Amino acid sequence: MAQITDPKIAFAYLRPACVLLTREPTVPNVETLGAQLRDVDDATLQQLQEYVLFPLRFVLKVPGPKREGLVQAVTKAMSHVLENTCVRSWEVLRDLLSELCLCLCSPTDPGKPAATSEELKSSVLKCLDALLHAAYGDIVFKLFEPSMLPGLGAAISLLLALGEQEKSRGIQAAALKCLQALTLQCDCTQDHVVPAAQEQRVLGNTMASFLPGITMALSRIITGDLRQGHAVTVRAIKVWSRTVGLVMEDSQLQACEPGESPSPDLGRIGKLVVQRTADWAKGTSGRLAALLQKIVSCTSAHQHWRVRLEMVELAERLLARCSQSLGECVGPLLEALVGAVNDEEPRVRERCEVVLREVSERSQRPSGGGGGSNKSGSSSQTFTDVLSENLHALATSLPRLMRTSDDQKKLFVLNVFLGYLKLLGPLVTVVLNSAVHLERISRALMQVLELDVMDVRIVEERSYAAAIETSSGPGSPDPQAAHTQRKHFLFFTDEKVFSALMEICRTLGYYGNIYLLTDHFLDLYRESSAYRKQAAMVLNELVRGAAGIAVATGGRGLEGEGRGRRAPPTRDDLKAAAVSVIEEYTSLNNWHLVTVSEETDRDRQDQQLLSPSRLLSISSSDVNITNANPLQMITSSFTSPSSSSSTSTIHQLNSNIWQLCIQLEGMACFAQALGRNFRPLLMTSLYPILEKAGDETLLVSQAALGSMWGISEACGYASLKELINDNSDYLLNDVSLNLQRLSLHPQAPRVLTVMLAHSDPSLLPLVGDIVQDVLLALDLSYDHTAALFCSVLHALMKALARWFPSSPDKSGESAGPRKSSTDQEVFNVRQFLLDYRKQKELAEGIGVEEDDTDDPVLPPPTECDEDVDGPDVKAELPPHLSITKDVMERCIHLLSDPSLSLRLKVLDVLEVCVCVLSERENELLPMAHRCWPALLQRLTADDPLAVLRAFRVLCTLGESCGDFLRSRVSKEVLPKLSSSLARQAPVSARAGPVYTHTLAYKLQLAVLQGLGSLCLRLDLAEADLDAVCEACLPYLSCRQPIKLQEACLSVFRHLIQADPDAFWFTLNELHCPFSYAPPHPDLRPVHLSGIGRPRDERSDNVLKLLREEFGSQMMSG
Amino acid sequence: MSRPAPSPIYTLRGAGGPLNALHFSCRGGDPPLLFSGSGTGAIHIWNLNTRRAEKVLEGHSGNSVIWISTLQSTNALISQGRDMRVCQWDLSEGRGEVTDSVWTGSVGFCQCSLLEMSPGTRLLAYPGQQTEEIKIIELPSKAPVCSLIPDAKLGMVMCIKLWQPDSGPGPLLLAGYEDGSLLLWDVSQRSTLSQAVAHPEPVMCLTFDPKRLRGISGSSEKNLSPWMLDGQNNLQLQDPVSLVNPGVSQLSIRGDGKLVASAGWDHRVRVFGWKKLRPLAVLQHHTDMVLSVAFSDHQDPRRRLLAAGSKDQRISLWSIYNEGADTG
Repeated sequence: MAQITDPKIAFAYLRPACVLLTREPTVPNVETLGAQLRDVDDATLQQLQEYVLFPLRFVLKVPGPKREGLVQAVTKAMSHVLENTCVRSWEVLRDLLSELCLCLCSPTDPGKPAATSEELKSSVLKCLDALLHAAYGDIVFKLFEPSMLPGLGAAISLLLALGEQEKSRGIQAAALKCLQALTLQCDCTQDHVVPAAQEQRVLGNTMASFLPGITMALSRIITGDLRQGHAVTVRAIKVWSRTVGLVMEDSQLQACEPGESPSPDLGRIGKLVVQRTADWAKGTSGRLAALLQKIVSCTSAHQHWRVRLEMVELAERLLARCSQSLGECVGPLLEALVGAVNDEEPRVRERCEVVLREVSERSQRPSGGGGGSNKSGSSSQTFTDVLSENLHALATSLPRLMRTSDDQKKLFVLNVFLGYLKLLGPLVTVVLNSAVHLERISRALMQVLELDVMDVRIVEERSYAAAIETSSGPGSPDPQAAHTQRKHFLFFTDEKVFSALMEICRTLGYYGNIYLLTDHFLDLYRESSAYRKQAAMVLNELVRGAAGIAVATGGRGLEGEGRGRRAPPTRDDLKAAAVSVIEEYTSLNNWHLVTVSEETDRDRQDQQLLSPSRLLSISSSDVNITNANPLQMITSSFTSPSSSSSTSTIHQLNSNIWQLCIQLEGMACFAQALGRNFRPLLMTSLYPILEKAGDETLLVSQAALGSMWGISEACGYASLKELINDNSDYLLNDVSLNLQRLSLHPQAPRVLTVMLAHSDPSLLPLVGDIVQDVLLALDLSYDHTAALFCSVLHALMKALARWFPSSPDKSGESAGPRKSSTDQEVFNVRQFLLDYRKQKELAEGIGVEEDDTDDPVLPPPTECDEDVDGPDVKAELPPHLSITKDVMERCIHLLSDPSLSLRLKVLDVLEVCVCVLSERENELLPMAHRCWPALLQRLTADDPLAVLRAFRVLCTLGESCGDFLRSRVSKEVLPKLSSSLARQAPVSARAGPVYTHTLAYKLQLAVLQGLGSLCLRLDLAEADLDAVCEACLPYLSCRQPIKLQEACLSVFRHLIQADPDAFWFTLNELHCPFSYAPPHPDLRPVHLSGIGRPRDERSDNVLKLLREEFGSQMMSG
Repeated sequence: MSRPAPSPIYTLRGAGGPLNALHFSCRGGDPPLLFSGSGTGAIHIWNLNTRRAEKVLEGHSGNSVIWISTLQSTNALISQGRDMRVCQWDLSEGRGEVTDSVWTGSVGFCQCSLLEMSPGTRLLAYPGQQTEEIKIIELPSKAPVCSLIPDAKLGMVMCIKLWQPDSGPGPLLLAGYEDGSLLLWDVSQRSTLSQAVAHPEPVMCLTFDPKRLRGISGSSEKNLSPWMLDGQNNLQLQDPVSLVNPGVSQLSIRGDGKLVASAGWDHRVRVFGWKKLRPLAVLQHHTDMVLSVAFSDHQDPRRRLLAAGSKDQRISLWSIYNEGADTG
């Protein structure tokens, strides 16, 4: 619909309605006019503005009570006019303002809002808003002349009352928006009057009169009901910040000439005028600071992010405009700001970062150039002062806050702390130069980071050599990440709190003077053991931070371009700092901490070895030595009830463990900080780390491995193996040196063990050198150090076995005969009978042609002994074999050591020796010959544990030198083994499920598992096989533990391979499922005693064997 | 009474042979170096910062290297091997080539002696083809200066030391012979100045302190024999120092003239105060004869090391008496 553009036509069109309205002020008349107004276009309406407004205003001015509907209709029409036109006349503006205010306030008390309907209020407020937006720039400032103060004040107080007391959120917000518009601070999308500096000053002067009222009312709104909805709160904060920002603006206050007294013609109004003098500013700022505190505390944790965002805006606005006049508020404002740095809402965070960057740039801006340099310089000075004051205050209260508040609050406080550090930037150095500040901060950190050392599991978890090796396997996926134990702190549980603390440390290191900080925290470290762990944690992160690691994001964000740290530490500085810390960490007192309680078996041995004079208490772990009952539970040696040790020592151990872990982590941190420059430091630091990698406490060894991973990464090594191989010369130097003074450095063998576990054959030449040292040291002190060395020798031999796997020449052998027996598809009876006859004739001595089936003659021991393969042959021996021989030599001596645990270890070593030597039979046989007597003793007259291991050695030996052992085994070993098997069989058949945990069971199992292959390998004679068979038969019983049955089945499978016919017969004697009908009536029927025998306990296993091993024959039979 | 025996600060491994000769070169800047000559003919250049062999030079075709030294003016190394050659090496800019060599014809174990006369010219004394002969040539021109053969029959020449006295025109030479005699030669006059019988056994090694005009020699017997030169260049024997075990391979005086160290056949290095020859320390580490000892010439006194090379193929580095106060 086209609008009327001609003013004359429009006038004619509107006139009747206006006239009618003037005469009869009714709602329909108003609505008619309102509807007609919409048909007139804006320019025309502007010309007719006052004419149209007159009847509307007339309705409002009519004295007496007014009907709400009418007023509402009028204001609606008026809003339309005002929204589309401008108000050019001061009188219209002034009058309309007061008329509209009258509509809002109650007729009896003009300061209070009327009890009218919400629709009416809303409509009037809308109209008021339209009026304020429509006011022309040259007249609007008249509002702020001193003479207008009463009217303006009434309007403001009315709007504030509406904003505060109204129930409807919409009206509250609208009232506050009106207030905002009234102070020319509106931020809506319409065009606004932009006041010039002078006008701004007038505005500020006037608003100064209302500042107390506005700020207090708004503070009440902001801190009021949390449920009032964020829109109102946001609006209130906005108005608050804008009003304060306007009145307290630095530039205005500085430009204020104090002599301007109010003109006398104002009369009483003059008293309302506020002079913004310095005193006034000071007082006001104090009051505002109090209000601000309330606002900040109420909103910084507000659940709606827009409120928090608005707070950031508030802080930004006030810091940017009023940082000098509101000196006391700067602290709370900054706190609000830095607290929002880590807000969960990204929009808040981003905005906050921008603001903080601006703030910090302003504070760091060099005070150069221009006449005002002095002033701005001093302002930035005070700004820094405020920051460092805040930091100091916070550091002071930090320990208290950490103890009392919940994790959420702690996180906030720490974020604020961090924010201050970032804000101070390079100035942190200055702050830290003050001893008081540094002391406060460090004490706070020390208290906050106190670890909880109550967890007993940490002390009890053990790592064994096996664990170390498996984790070094090539396939293990990044063991570094896998083993990081969480630290437990006394004063917080949230991991975020810890990371905030660590970031604080890094930031300190990044901006602070690294020498000062390391010195200070090293002093704390030395000062008391209570601070040691915390100080170490701090030191680790300080150095990392100094190298710029993991602080980059925050740092870059605040610094802006090109303004980095004042003097980033040089490589040498960092290195010097790291070296001093490492030296402290690895010093004797701080590195060689007790981490295992003394009852622990292994440790006790070590202790015993190293200090023979020490009094040994007979503790629970002695049981398995003194009380060698085969039925005794094996597990008992591993349960270490720590009843005797008091909890305090557990705490001490726990604390030691953590200290070591932290120090180990520190090494990795320093490596990370120094990168490849850390390589020279490996000379001194790698050995201690490896020492700990061999530690029995799981946590410590894992931390050490993690540290090694970190170092190898930082130093550019691809793997732990490379790290160790490349630095083996450094390591071995220390190892060899310390081997000579074992009592002082008992860890040397462990280091060697770890090295061996992680490296490869390229280490051999150097290791060869060391092994001589080891053996020499062992030879010099057999009684004290043998057990310690045994573990080294074991590790060495295992490493050799891994590096030089013996060729798998014998593995394929076992499948051969078995296959042929199953492949015998067609059983040729005739051929069989012919063969049988020939065999029988041979057996009876008929036609003996060749008798080479004898045992191969044992090579006389002297023949292949040392004197034949003299020195020149020895020289040809590969180094790993000569080492093995040397080790085996020692084993022979140690095999008969009185200590059981030592014998066990030696047997382990011996087994690996045999494996390694098996590739050279010429070397192995003489050695085997020499160690046989001792081994036999272990097999036949020793503790069951030793028998078990010795049998394993025997099996291994059987694998590689079968012939050599045959007669010895059949004469000396088999009788005893079979008798013990036979003796134990009824016991195991009767025993319950617990039996499988006993030593006796394990012995039975081991013997049964190894016996079969041993028999086959040694190619034993028939009589021996029978004896074995006899001993094993009871184990076919289904009453035996299932594993024993399986092991027994394996024995029979091997026996069947050795002599199928004999054992087919034996088995069928026990149980025969078929009756064998002779193929020809001339042949006598077969009588097997198993035929027709009822099923018994052994039937199942017998049948299983027959089916599996002789399946084809049964078919054919 | 005494502190526990110190341990070496480091052991250099991997030389692959007995260490016959050691020589420090720490003045030339970074890093400080140690040269070692092994029984298998290899010369290792050890970087004392990383404590690793930086380079291995092979130039004596597998024959034992018995003496090495660096030339101060140029970045060059000079080595004597049992292939009867003295080789000069160019080490500048990471090179390692033989630039020159002199054939000595000596089959003995006598080590050469080098004397820097002026920048660019130096005298080299080496054992000649005849067993008692000492030859002196000028380097780099290789012009023979003289050949010194004693009148009396003293046996093979065992060790020599060439030095330039402060007063007097020409360089002097000290030589120890197989029969235990010491001779002081005037090189320019080609004449014997003085003679003394220091040991009943062959003189195995000697070292001389030109500042104090005092020297010491070792033999295969138990005594170390110190001696002085008086104003008339007469050798005057002093009271011998007795050792526990016989046999000394090498003697070395520290640059500051405070310590003297002996490389013992008993696997030990012994350290004495040079002034009164008071025994200070017995360094026990090696598992075989110690063949060579050398003191570092590092500018920082605290980083001056003692190195000992042994038949067990290791070089031990010791940091002892570096604080300077308690050397006696």
